[in-house]
Amino acid sequence: MVPEAMAPSPILSVRNLSKRFEGLLALGGVSFDVEEGQIFGVIGPNGAGKTTLFSCIVGSLVPTSGEILFRRRRIDGLPNHAVVRKGIVRTHQIVRPFRDMTVEQNVSVGALFGRGKRRGNEAVRRTIGILETTGLSHRAQAIAGTLTIGELKRLEIARALATEPEVICLDEVMGGLNPSEILAAMSLIRTIRDAGVTVLMIEHHIHAVVGVSDRILVLNFGEKIAEGTPQEVVADPEVVTAYLGDDSHPLLEEAGS
Amino acid sequence: MEDVVLRPAPIPRRAVPASLFAAVGLLLLLAPRFLDRGSLNDIWNVAFGVILACSWNILGGFAGQVSIGYSAFIGIGAYTTVLLALKGVDPYLTLPLAAVLGALFSFLIGLPAFRLRGPYFTIVTIGVSEAVRVFASGVSFTGGSSGLRMPAGSFDFGVNYASMVVLALAVVALSAVLSRGAFGTALSAIRQDIDAAEALGIDSSRFKLAAHAISAALVALAGSLYAINFQYVAPGSVFDFRLSLSIVLMPIIGGVGTLAGPVLGAVIFSYLQIKLLTIPALRDSYLFLYGGLLILVMLFEPKGLVGLWNRLIAAVRRRSGGTDGP
Repeated sequence: MVPEAMAPSPILSVRNLSKRFEGLLALGGVSFDVEEGQIFGVIGPNGAGKTTLFSCIVGSLVPTSGEILFRRRRIDGLPNHAVVRKGIVRTHQIVRPFRDMTVEQNVSVGALFGRGKRRGNEAVRRTIGILETTGLSHRAQAIAGTLTIGELKRLEIARALATEPEVICLDEVMGGLNPSEILAAMSLIRTIRDAGVTVLMIEHHIHAVVGVSDRILVLNFGEKIAEGTPQEVVADPEVVTAYLGDDSHPLLEEAGS
Repeated sequence: MEDVVLRPAPIPRRAVPASLFAAVGLLLLLAPRFLDRGSLNDIWNVAFGVILACSWNILGGFAGQVSIGYSAFIGIGAYTTVLLALKGVDPYLTLPLAAVLGALFSFLIGLPAFRLRGPYFTIVTIGVSEAVRVFASGVSFTGGSSGLRMPAGSFDFGVNYASMVVLALAVVALSAVLSRGAFGTALSAIRQDIDAAEALGIDSSRFKLAAHAISAALVALAGSLYAINFQYVAPGSVFDFRLSLSIVLMPIIGGVGTLAGPVLGAVIFSYLQIKLLTIPALRDSYLFLYGGLLILVMLFEPKGLVGLWNRLIAAVRRRSGGTDGP
């Protein structure tokens, strides 16, 4: 853990965040800070509470208790659209394109209604720029429902970027991608960070998340079991134990090497 | 509205060209010079249907929020006009207030109902419209179930005909404008995936309320013109649940969420109804016919006649493309 005094003011601060669904405690008092310009990985076994964490951050779920601060201002309890206007956006693990719209129209939704609230030509310019960044220009006029899974994953990122976020929360954008697509996605994530956007990413693909993250948070059963640099985290015995049930998990190889 | 710089959604794009729209409009406005009163009455009815169907389509089609309570707005418009006319106000001067009251009433339904996801909005609209009908039948200022008559005065069908036609044209044009631009994009996003829309910064409640208010105001205007034409308003006619159902049926038959669909649906529906109502055996059973038609549309082409047409065009293109090939 980085001592508080050494760290500059974090862009995002999660304090003792809990979320309870009926009898199930999905998040039990999770705290962490994300510095501006970081790529911050979130890993953990299935059901660890990763997606719930993202949902609470962007406001599509209301936390049961705890605080979420964005640039030292509380944002917990704000509706999703209001959080997007402030500059935090998320993508969905299961892609949710507007299937009847073209790729370009999908991206324009972010440009029109995100933090920038672009109109007219400005929205078009923004949309075209993002389509280029995400490598979707050649598919701009395709109906979203006809895209491949790799393209749909990129469309999720493109739409989110179009909202002009300061923080982007990527929920398993590499799931279902082939090795070369994963390399492309890693380079896209670095490009996003280099453009000044802080990146939070949930990722099951351990090699990718270790390769690209500055810091990693590990959740298990709704609780933080580790946080640190990728090297620290993969060497942590508790993290290894958490993954032991999954005997083919690459984390074990990573930790052993 | 914002500049139409982004390409509109693929369905509105196949809209009736503006020139055809202008020609039909001109023809309809000149119709009193060469058509008899009976035919003009039929056109009046069709125009009334077009207003209801296209207005409903702004919320029900573009934004996907199905209301089965639109007769409430017809009633609000009609009663506003009759009640004020009885106080000595010129009936046509009551139109703006009718529109405002219709919009305000839409907030009353939408503010609580739009917070809920799923079919709750639809259920609430049925309940509210029935409650309004019962209320209007029970209180004295509406004349109770026997209704109210407009004050005796000079009634000019020509003025009413022109007003209805102009309103119908305006509603069609407004739908075309609203379906493009940022507003239409937001409604389309809400219809396709409301959570994804919220996740990209769309305040879905606000857009739904706005779409509801716009369509409610337009329907209330139609209700006012309806009252002026019939010189009489009663809960049994303007708050009729069957009227609410008809308003939903028209866009569904024609093609929900499209521009031409509700117009097409309204023309066919209104015209059939005019013809069927003159056949005594069908007088009370015409809704069965529409029920059957509804089931057919749902089973075979959920996008209605417009969807059927698009499929036909695609098939023809495929065939001609095949002969062009090597």
